[in-house]
Amino acid sequence: MIRSVKFWIGCFVLAALVGSSLVHQFVFDSNIKKVVVLYNEKDEAVKAAPLPASLEMPFGTDRQGYDMFAKVVQGAKYTIPFAILIALLRVVIAFFIAIPYAFYFPLWARKGLEKLLSSFYYVPLTILAIFLLQPVLTEQLSGDKEYFTYSFFMRIFLEVSILTLLVVPLVSVMIGNMITAQLKEEFIQSSQVLGAGKLRIFMKHVVPHLLPKLFIVVTQQCVSALIIFAHLGYFQLFIGGTDVCYAPFCDIPPQSISNEWSGLIGEYYQNIFAHPLIALGPVIMFGIAIYSFNLVTEGLQTHFESGRQREKADREEEKEDKIVTGSTNFKFINQEGA
Amino acid sequence: MAIVRKMLIQFMLTVVSIILISGLPVLFLTKSLPLYWGKVKEVGTSLLHPGHLEYIRYKHSRPLFPDFVDPYFYSLIILLTSFILAFFLAQLLAWLTMILPEQIRAAIKNLLTFLESLPDLLVFALVQIFIVFFYKQTNILLSDVASVGEQRIYVIPIMCMTILPLIYFYKMMVLLSEEESRKPYFEFSRAKGLRKIYVLLFHVTRNTHETLFHFSKTVLWFMISNLLLVEWIFNINGITYYLYSDFRPEIMAVVLIFIAFPFFVFFAFLEFLLSIRIRQEVGA
Repeated sequence: MIRSVKFWIGCFVLAALVGSSLVHQFVFDSNIKKVVVLYNEKDEAVKAAPLPASLEMPFGTDRQGYDMFAKVVQGAKYTIPFAILIALLRVVIAFFIAIPYAFYFPLWARKGLEKLLSSFYYVPLTILAIFLLQPVLTEQLSGDKEYFTYSFFMRIFLEVSILTLLVVPLVSVMIGNMITAQLKEEFIQSSQVLGAGKLRIFMKHVVPHLLPKLFIVVTQQCVSALIIFAHLGYFQLFIGGTDVCYAPFCDIPPQSISNEWSGLIGEYYQNIFAHPLIALGPVIMFGIAIYSFNLVTEGLQTHFESGRQREKADREEEKEDKIVTGSTNFKFINQEGA
Repeated sequence: MAIVRKMLIQFMLTVVSIILISGLPVLFLTKSLPLYWGKVKEVGTSLLHPGHLEYIRYKHSRPLFPDFVDPYFYSLIILLTSFILAFFLAQLLAWLTMILPEQIRAAIKNLLTFLESLPDLLVFALVQIFIVFFYKQTNILLSDVASVGEQRIYVIPIMCMTILPLIYFYKMMVLLSEEESRKPYFEFSRAKGLRKIYVLLFHVTRNTHETLFHFSKTVLWFMISNLLLVEWIFNINGITYYLYSDFRPEIMAVVLIFIAFPFFVFFAFLEFLLSIRIRQEVGA
C-alpha cells in the first residue's frame, strides 16, 4: 500500500476530473447551461454574455453564453485519458526497444545509437508535432468542399501514434541506460557466476527493480503529453480534428469536435485581455491536471525510496543474524513485494 | 580532434534526420511513398543551394537569405539570454536555499513542485496581464506587450522565457545539492572545520555540474518550443515567423538546422570542457 499523501491527492484529483466528466455525460447528458442575459430580481436585464466569473459559474460564460466550467468538465474525459494513453504507449514501446539495446548491443553500438537519438534534443517536439499534425488534423478546402483527409478514427490513431513515436527514441535511450546501470550491480554478476541466463536475469533481477522506475517515467510522460496538447491547442490543432469554417464572412473560430481542453484553449485564448478568466479557464485546468500528475510522481518517488531504505535496514539486520546462525541466507527480491 | 570528428558526424546525422522528417507531411497528405521520396530529394538538393530558397511574405515570394539573418540573431539573443539568466539566477537562489534550515527547504520544494506545474501558456498570460495591470495602476509601461513591424522588444519575451527554466533549474539544483550534502566528503570537510558555505560553493556546486549539463539539454529543448509560442503571442518577427509563414518542408528544414547548429556547438564546447576537467581529476 502506498502511504504517501501526495500520491493519493494527485490520484483523487485526476479521478475526480474524469469522474465528474463521465457523470456529466451519463447523468446530465452533457447538457451545458446557456445564459445569454442575466436578470435581477425586478426582471431587468443586468448583463449579457460573456458573463464574468461567479460562484455558480467559476469560469464565467463565453460569448454565446455557454457555461465555461461545464465545457471544461465535459472536456476532461477526453484530454486526461488521451494523455495517459500516449504516456503508456511511449513507455511500453520504449521498454521493448530498450531490452535488446541494453542486453545485446555492444558498448560502441550503444554509444553510437545514443548519439544519433540525442539529435532529437535539437528538434523541439512542439514544432515537429505542429508540422506533422497540420495536414492530418486540419479540415482542408478543395473547391468549395470542406473535407478531412482522414476519417475520425484514423485522425485519432495518427495523432496518438505521432505524439508517441516522436518521443519514443529519447525514452528508450533513457530506459536502456536504466537497465545497463542495473546490470552493473554486484548481485547480477553473482547470479551470472551461478549460471543464470539472460532471460532469468532479466525476469528475476531487472524487471522487479525497473518497474517502479517505469511508473515514474509514465507519470512524467503524462505531463509532457498534456503540455503538448496545450501547445497544439494554441495553434488550433485539436484532438480528433479541427473544424475550420471556410465560408466567407465566417467569424466562428476553428472549433474542436468535442469540448476537449486543447480545443477550448484554441477557441478562447485570444480573449486574454478582454476576458482573462474565460481565456484562462482551460489553461488553469491543464495546470491542475499537470500538478496532480507531478504530485503522483513525487508520491511514488518517496514511496519507492522509503521502500529501498527499509529493505537496506532489513538486509543489515539479516547480516547480524547470519553471524549468529552461520547459515547462508539468500534473499529473493520479488518475495517481499518490493 | 577526435571530438571534432565525432561532433561533425553527429551533426550530419541530425541534418539527415531533419530532412527525412521534413518530408513527412507530404506523405500524410498524399499517402504515397514515391512522392515522399521525391520531396525528400527536393529538400536535400535545395539545401545545397540555399541562395535559391524563397519564402512567402504578404503573398509574395522573397528570397530567404539575407532576410532571414537578422530575425535569426534576434531569436538567438532572446533564447540565449533567457537560458543564461535562468541558469545563474537559479544557482544563486539554490545557494541561498541550501543555507536555510531543513523545514523551510521542504516548504520551498513543495512550492517549486507547484510552480513547475504551471503551463507555459498560463505564465505568458500572467506576465501579459501583469504588465497591463501595472500600466493601468501606475502609468508606467514596463515594456511593450506586442511588437509592431520592425520594432524590437526584449524585456517581455526574455521575462516569459526565463521564469519556467529558472524554476526547473532551481529545483534540480536544490535536489542535487541535497543529495551531495549527504555524501561522506561533505561531512568530512565540515568536520575539518570548513564553513558550510565554502563547501557548498566550491565542492558541491562543482560536483553537480555534470548532471546539470545533461539536464540543461532537456530544458533547452523545452525552451525552443516556448520560443515558438512567445514569438507567436507577442507578434515577434523572429525565426519562427518563417517557420509558420508557410509550412513548406524546405523552409522547415532550413530553420530547424539553423536552430540546432549554435546549440550543437555550445553543448559540444561544454562537453569538451567537462571531459578536460574529468581527465585532470583522474590524472591528479
